[in-house]
Amino acid sequence: MTVDARTDPMSAHPVRNYPKFLWWALGEATNGNLPFYAWMLALTAIALVGANAWAVQVVDGMIVTNMTDHVSWGLYIANFTFCVGLAAGGVMMVIPAYLYDDEEMHKVVIIGEIVAISAIIMCTLSVLVDLGRPDRFWHMLPGIGRFNWPMSMLTWDVIVLNGYLLINLHIVGYLLYMRFLGQRPNPTWYIPFVMLSIAWAISIHTVTAFLYCGLGGRPFWNTSLLAPRFLASAFVSGPSFIILVMRVLRITTGYTASPAPARLLIQIIRVAMTVNLIMLASEIFTMFYTGGSHLAAANYLFFGSHGRSGLVPWIWTAIGLNLIGTMLFFTKSALERSPARILACLCCIVGIWIEKGMGLIIPGFIPSTLHQIVEYTPSLTEWKITAGIWAVGLIVMTLLLKMMISVQKTREVLELHVE
Amino acid sequence: MNSSDSPSSPSKPPLPILSILDNGSTRRTALKGVAMTLGLAAFGKAIWPLTTIPENVSVSEFLQQHYKELTEDDKTAVFKRLAAETKQQYGADVTISDQRPIPGVKFAYAINLSKCNGNGKCMEACNKENNHHRGVDQSYIRVLEMSKGSLDLGKGTTTFDHTVPQDDKFYMPVQCQQCDNPPCVTVCPVEATWKEEDGIVVVDYNWCIGCRYCEAACPYHARRFNWEKPELSAEEVNPNQGYLSNRIRPQGTMEKCHFCLHRTREGRQPACLEACPTGARVFGDINDPESDINWVIKNKRVFVLKEELGTQPSFFYFFDS
Amino acid sequence: MTEYRYRPTSVDNRPRVRTGKPAWRKRSGVSLLAILASCVLGGVILSISFLWFQTPELHRSEKTSVTNPKSQPLSSVEDSTKTKSIKHKITINQPAGPPRIDIGLTSMHGEKLSVACSTCHTTREPNIANRSTADLDEFHKGMSFSHGNLTCLACHNPKDYDSLHLADRTAVSFQEVMSLCSQCHGTQRRDYDHGAHGGMTGYWDLSRGPRVRNNCVDCHNPHQPKFPKMNPTFKPRDRFLESHNGEHHE
Repeated sequence: MTVDARTDPMSAHPVRNYPKFLWWALGEATNGNLPFYAWMLALTAIALVGANAWAVQVVDGMIVTNMTDHVSWGLYIANFTFCVGLAAGGVMMVIPAYLYDDEEMHKVVIIGEIVAISAIIMCTLSVLVDLGRPDRFWHMLPGIGRFNWPMSMLTWDVIVLNGYLLINLHIVGYLLYMRFLGQRPNPTWYIPFVMLSIAWAISIHTVTAFLYCGLGGRPFWNTSLLAPRFLASAFVSGPSFIILVMRVLRITTGYTASPAPARLLIQIIRVAMTVNLIMLASEIFTMFYTGGSHLAAANYLFFGSHGRSGLVPWIWTAIGLNLIGTMLFFTKSALERSPARILACLCCIVGIWIEKGMGLIIPGFIPSTLHQIVEYTPSLTEWKITAGIWAVGLIVMTLLLKMMISVQKTREVLELHVE
Repeated sequence: MNSSDSPSSPSKPPLPILSILDNGSTRRTALKGVAMTLGLAAFGKAIWPLTTIPENVSVSEFLQQHYKELTEDDKTAVFKRLAAETKQQYGADVTISDQRPIPGVKFAYAINLSKCNGNGKCMEACNKENNHHRGVDQSYIRVLEMSKGSLDLGKGTTTFDHTVPQDDKFYMPVQCQQCDNPPCVTVCPVEATWKEEDGIVVVDYNWCIGCRYCEAACPYHARRFNWEKPELSAEEVNPNQGYLSNRIRPQGTMEKCHFCLHRTREGRQPACLEACPTGARVFGDINDPESDINWVIKNKRVFVLKEELGTQPSFFYFFDS
Repeated sequence: MTEYRYRPTSVDNRPRVRTGKPAWRKRSGVSLLAILASCVLGGVILSISFLWFQTPELHRSEKTSVTNPKSQPLSSVEDSTKTKSIKHKITINQPAGPPRIDIGLTSMHGEKLSVACSTCHTTREPNIANRSTADLDEFHKGMSFSHGNLTCLACHNPKDYDSLHLADRTAVSFQEVMSLCSQCHGTQRRDYDHGAHGGMTGYWDLSRGPRVRNNCVDCHNPHQPKFPKMNPTFKPRDRFLESHNGEHHE
């Protein structure tokens, strides 16, 4: 028996029912089992520790970090770079689901978009805590401040990151709300945004790479390969993270997707990781074979120079983890639900985090522009604030995922069946 | 059928609203209320340090517009406020001026590397003239001890502490090159730094948001960030201050060498030049055909640092022979 | 007309068979193309505008290139040198006169007693055989001298020890010592006259204020003219920057 959704009394008015949706979301946020409460409590505690550390940083100045005039960007920007990659990784689910009509992927693509939202929030927070004067944030608003667009790549970054956040918030919010109401989502309201988000996801990480690679004074970054490398590593770290999220969902809530989407993601990761490693090899060759100005930073990073070798263990660990992760991804068991897959995801996420942070941002500053070597290790305040940022991101992600699962469990979902 | 609200009916599933009251568990609701109150209290305590901000940042400072948008009246009010704040925070009476470029002038600076012996008096003069943070003896200049026979900055060091000059070394002070194509100006997201008509690249310290992108972009290590509030005693304060130059900079903003524009735009020499005991520095108006700097550029073999980056510095180096 | 069917999730894993494109695809195929095309077009337009904003700076700097200082400055206001009518003074420090030597005695009125060069040198003939301080019998013996191959009388005037003399033996006063130095050190004097030697205090713009210059002998002891070594007393203490005191880097 078919029922037209328009006769369903609850689908009457999308605007008037919105407060009900918000109230229900609040209920979702505060209802759960004991592990849920414990998880959210722990995250809140970490977030509060981070907030307090940030408040102290704002008042006492950034001297509480270990950044200096030589290494003037540190953990915050490293974390920002990694999180932009996470956000861009969601596109590897959107493309199969919407451009290639992969129906199995279509069921879980919203997870990728939720991860993207959380990651973008983490990005924005990472940049906010890095500002010396966050009270002057309004100076960046076009119209009332001065927005140096199109010259400054930071302004491009602000535009693309906020745009991507809004696009994904709209898509996820719309789909959740429609499912909540029991209505069929109207394609006109979200499909164009999905298509836009595909191009936009590529742009967020490209623009972030352009932030660095456009600076002639930093020869380590000044390579045209930086943006492609960023994209390649984003398409590994993003899907890896999503696979881990899906595994956690299955363990904690019993939400099970079909094995096909994860299998597709693994295949994508295999290709992207190989490309990433090829690009890394290309960079290493160019830097070491030619020598010259690009060599100084690479030398310090891989082998240490002038008696300083603080980053050497980090980069070799990152390369090792990436290689191990790649080999694990290429095993047959990675295509099934196996420990190998989880281990591979973890290896690659950690490896890429280190590679982007200690392997890319910090070496751009060492040696400095006057070729001095000042090393950098994040201070406790920086770790606390970064942990707080991750806690906030995970809180947002947990809530959105919970809402998604809840909507699919308590409300029977309308499926579209086309003749 | 329309009025039925049973979950078992496939045609009208109930909306999962007010699910928190579904089971009628008021104990859980009460616990949630308590938890939320506690959470809000914890959050307030966590960010409580921020309440000290209004002591250091007044409402008028928060709302202050970009320098280029300030009218003359605005500027007078701003300078008055800044002078009052300096008096209150540092105990010194200062005058803040707003020197505009002399029309037709474009500044250039040259250093004679045959004469510089690395004594560092220029750094000291800069520190004193520009009300730098005494906690780290900050200066806009860094003097590099370089090996003779090479311009490789990798072989240079700034931390030498022996009698100068050493026989196998030469000395090269580096400060802001006031580039004609400044990468720092390009990257600033809020236009807090710009190049003025006389060539000096300036910073509006009250507009800068402290993102440090310009510090990453500068190839000459010319830009400094105020990681903390500058410390200096009332006696150490130089009371002749310029708004865009040597006034005491707020915490969390960028700063850089500005060719002492509060002096040079009045026709005076920059502090580093006057302090140099070896007379290695030459400064002037490059548009004046009779100026010293013009003569140096025409008659000495001058070069610039990192020319391949295309920054087009206004800062030159030369050897006597 | 599309048909709706209620179907619970995660239970029905039957393979789905699609016959033809979904409805939303048919409607949004065009919108997809439109969006992608506008993105590409937007990117191209923005890149062009980006480059356009860049180039005027390059043009500007060409106009004020260092090889052509007469070119148009950044502002279109008239060159300030043309409006310069006042020229303030350049004061060059000068020694007060011939040096006097304090003999460590005081007069009955309590004044310190000193002697002029001529006090002793009018009482004896100059000895042109003396070529270094080692050859002297008395006084000036311990003086360090290191000025090339010069002898005393290369600069000191044997006819009047209270003055100096140039290479052609024209007498010059001690106040005019710079003209003597300049005879051999012409390049340094040329550099000095153009502000590239010897430093200065005061104004770069002489229409606004005066300038004070050092004399040669302010920095260079005529008997040991090499500029003395110094000890750096001021060093910025950059955080986490370790000191390398004279180490040689590879």
